[in-house]
Amino acid sequence: MPDVPQNAGYMMAAYIVTAIILIAYVVSLYRRTRNL
Amino acid sequence: MSLVQKGRWITLVALVCLAAVYVRALAFTPVERLQGPAQKIFYLHVPAALWTEAAMVLVGLAGIFYLFLKDPRLDRFAEASAEVGTVFATIVLTTGPIWGKPIWGTWWTWDARLTSTLFLFFLYVGYLLLRGAVRDPGLRARYAAVLGICGMCLVPFIHLSVFLFRTLHPQPIILKPSAPSLPNSMLATWLFSLVAFTLLYVGCVTQRYALSLARAAQQGRSSEAGHA
Repeated sequence: MPDVPQNAGYMMAAYIVTAIILIAYVVSLYRRTRNL
Repeated sequence: MSLVQKGRWITLVALVCLAAVYVRALAFTPVERLQGPAQKIFYLHVPAALWTEAAMVLVGLAGIFYLFLKDPRLDRFAEASAEVGTVFATIVLTTGPIWGKPIWGTWWTWDARLTSTLFLFFLYVGYLLLRGAVRDPGLRARYAAVLGICGMCLVPFIHLSVFLFRTLHPQPIILKPSAPSLPNSMLATWLFSLVAFTLLYVGCVTQRYALSLARAAQQGRSSEAGHA
């Protein structure tokens, strides 16, 4: 049986990048709608 | 409760759900034997891709109805959907290459699915730039509606590109005519993530719609003051 590839770093990078993009957008929306 | 507050609450619930998806995916979902942990990128990449395509379809549908009904609410919705779709497309175009490097051995390849998704991203950016460039609201809404309809026509081509062309991109394993070929534990994580991304789309679009509404009201007041 082949060994499981050791590529957890790529997984972590993808999860971190997604979180950064989403949080940045949510914060930008919050800042733009703050004074409504 | 105002529209923007509703949007904030939905977004907050979506972010909590997404945090739960992170915990479930990283700690409680089994590692795929052939691809290793990088396969877990799929739980973010695919729901984001589905909503990137769905957001453009909704922009196009709103555009079609706008051209018939001339209702500014449809134009505002299309603008909000396009902005959120751009954010989701950014996620797709960053998580995809991060998955591709360990699995394919390359960050990017010019195959049909990847190239057409990149084209969709440029369409989203073009749509937002067009809206920023035209000052007349009626003209802006009409031009944007036409571009949105063009974008909507691209979506089926993107979705079916893996069947129409020889491509490196994997074939669908969930949205296909036969039953999903995923173990239940992985399917549950994916469905949970799809719910989180759906809530995120609804929450962000609601907030963005409220912002457009407030800006339109502000412009109306300033033009009234200008005429007085």
